[in-house]
Amino acid sequence: MNIENTASQMRKGVLEFCILSVIKQGEAYPSDIIDKMKAANLNILEGTLYPLLTRLKNAELLSYRWEESTSGPPRKYFSLTPKGAEFYKELETTWFELANAVKALTEAEQVYSDNNNFNNPQ
Amino acid sequence: MKQVININFQGRVVPIEVTAFELLKNYTESLNRHFANEEGKEEIINDIESRIGELFQERISKGATCITDDDVKAIIKSMGNPEDFEAMDDTAGASSASSSSYSQQEQQASSTTSTGHKKLYRNDNDKILGGVCSGLANYFNIDVVVTRIIFVILLFSGIGFLTYIVMWIAVPSSSTEQIGGARRKLFRDPDEKMIAGVCSGIGNYFGINPWIPRVLFLLPFLSFLSRWGHWGGFWDFGDVIRFTFSPTSLIIYIILWIVIPEALTTSEKLEMKGEKVDLNSIKASVAEEMKSVSKRAEKFGKEAASTINEKASAVTSDVKNFSKRSRGGLGNVIAMIAKIFAYFIIGCVTFAFVMALIGMGIFSIGVFPLKDYILRGPWQNIYAWGTLLLFIAVPIIAIITWLIRKIARAKANGRILGWTFGSLWAIGWVCLILLIGSIARDFKSSSRLEEEQVALVNPQVNKLVVTSSMPFSKKYYGRNWIRFEPFENLVDEDTAYVRNVYVEITRSPNDSFQVTMKRQARGNTRADANSLASLVKFSVEQKDSVLLLEKGIAINKTDKFRNQGVIITIYVPVGKQIRINKGIGWPVHIGRDWDSEWNNDYYDGEQNIRWQSDVDYIMKEDGLYTIDGRKADGWNDRESSSKKMSRNRNSGGDGYRYDEFDKKADSLRRLDEIKRQNKLDSIEKAQEKLDSIKEKIQNSGTEEPGPVSMYRMPVNDPMVEIR
Repeated sequence: MNIENTASQMRKGVLEFCILSVIKQGEAYPSDIIDKMKAANLNILEGTLYPLLTRLKNAELLSYRWEESTSGPPRKYFSLTPKGAEFYKELETTWFELANAVKALTEAEQVYSDNNNFNNPQ
Repeated sequence: MKQVININFQGRVVPIEVTAFELLKNYTESLNRHFANEEGKEEIINDIESRIGELFQERISKGATCITDDDVKAIIKSMGNPEDFEAMDDTAGASSASSSSYSQQEQQASSTTSTGHKKLYRNDNDKILGGVCSGLANYFNIDVVVTRIIFVILLFSGIGFLTYIVMWIAVPSSSTEQIGGARRKLFRDPDEKMIAGVCSGIGNYFGINPWIPRVLFLLPFLSFLSRWGHWGGFWDFGDVIRFTFSPTSLIIYIILWIVIPEALTTSEKLEMKGEKVDLNSIKASVAEEMKSVSKRAEKFGKEAASTINEKASAVTSDVKNFSKRSRGGLGNVIAMIAKIFAYFIIGCVTFAFVMALIGMGIFSIGVFPLKDYILRGPWQNIYAWGTLLLFIAVPIIAIITWLIRKIARAKANGRILGWTFGSLWAIGWVCLILLIGSIARDFKSSSRLEEEQVALVNPQVNKLVVTSSMPFSKKYYGRNWIRFEPFENLVDEDTAYVRNVYVEITRSPNDSFQVTMKRQARGNTRADANSLASLVKFSVEQKDSVLLLEKGIAINKTDKFRNQGVIITIYVPVGKQIRINKGIGWPVHIGRDWDSEWNNDYYDGEQNIRWQSDVDYIMKEDGLYTIDGRKADGWNDRESSSKKMSRNRNSGGDGYRYDEFDKKADSLRRLDEIKRQNKLDSIEKAQEKLDSIKEKIQNSGTEEPGPVSMYRMPVNDPMVEIR
């Protein structure tokens, strides 16, 4: 076992959840998503974001609309579909359960209570 | 000074340096390759391109006159190279220590090139010969010095050399994964395939017409088919070897079929055909080389930091495990080598086992028509079928299934299948043991029938020629491609022939030829055996000076084969000649030292040594001789098996030299008994003399005579005395 590998596996697991949660806050343009995640200290290559977005869109969790941009080609703005919102809800529940469990296990004396922190990664 | 061109990129006119455009083009091509298997490939690439276009626009709006190399490089860096995505998939984002990047969560498993495995490449950046050692070192996460030392050690045993060459050919270069450095890869070509596209893939790889490898594959196979017809009569070991040699191409084809992946996607097909080496690709690979050292270091850092891939097969993960620990000490390296060696041995044993099973399978299928002549009752038939299907076929099927599942990476039901095959095979073992036991019981007792005299038409001939008659039509000859001793090749519809005919030659007590026949068989009880033996039909017929013996004994399906046989004893009067014709096919005993249990010592080959067919022999008082005076070997007359004779036999080497000398001199062609006795006596004397000389020499101890002179002593001495 290798520490980077394990850490990376952990991050990989929550990547979709993070993207969905950024989009949930409002329509988002891919570079916005990148910026927001960077601000939250979660660095991701743009090249890996686009395929993920496409997959989520193909799974009908996301929809997008074109918006003319003043600089450069038109932009795709992504938003959650109802199905996506539902999906997000379920992921969220799972995440809190998991986070609580991990918290409880790692800091046994202090049970994690402030769930709301997770709604806003920033 | 750089040339600038205008390109239409995502609907916008973008001024760009020519070199930057090449970089951009290579980048989009590499993206195309990377996402070839991805659902919605166009969309992803379009998104990325439009993002790049946006970034271009940003630069230009900031006042740049055109897009430069640096701009493109910066953009590519922020988007990430496909090899970075892949590295993140493969090594699970191992670079997080430096850049803490994330990789995609999932990747479609259908792709053969981008499944989640860490791939073994020859390292083009750190190579001495082909980069095999450093590639292995990267793969197993060990120092390249270690792999090189291992290979140098292996080199002395010869295996290393071969392994290196094979890996050089088989393992792709790391440059194939770099932008612009794509080289040909070996794929099976599904577009031009005849069977599985192996040959057309090879043709693509070497840039030759696919018919060249096809013909090369077919040539040995055709000769294999053409030789098929020859198998009828001459099934011996040599043919078995040639048999396994001939379909080698078939086996190689199947192995290649399994090993070489099929080119499924467009990018794989392009890789298969190889990219044209033009100015652009050369430029690109140069550009790749010029990438900063830190970048390369980072890339290898990723690989080096990567760890056991859980999907990798058990073997490689074990080896990797060991190699990982091998940083600790030399002992672990040795343990790893031992482990590799052990796997190698296990592999060899498994292979041999499979081959043996297949051989048994072919053999039993060949023998199967004979089963009606051997097996009695329903139970033995059940055991035989059980053995064939469960003991032989099941493991073959099991191993094939295992291979297919391994290739297809099937995981479900593995345990159930294992148990099923295991228990079926166990039943097969039981069947085999029961079959052998039950057949052995049927062969338990031997018959005890008296010898019977065969009436001879003309017992006073001077020379008897023994030859075989062919009682059966040639119709069935060569029909069977396998021989099962003692069954003849000729199996009629309801009759089989066995070659259990033994001829013995001994001295006649009077002056006429005599022939006796003893019929034999085996059975469950002595009575059974006797009654079977009395049913044996075998005709011995004399025509003038020719003694005609049947070639085989007919066995029918009701009486079954119980090792029925006959022993023909020919009594040759002293002074008369006998000759055995070539091709009679059965072994000939000389002398009579067998008893009723002859079956046991029949295979004692010494009895048949130096007996030559188509040679005239003459009977003398003490045995059979060739016309030119050499003793027929293996003669062992009961009457003369006195102490003296046995002494003679023990020093047979001396006697033989005698005869050779006589032959040369051409004087003592027909020695009478007295002279011979003199000789024998003189040999004894000579030996005594030798012993005394030996003693003397040993006592004096001054000069050790060489072994040659010691050996010659007894030979030369009596010669002088006789003359």
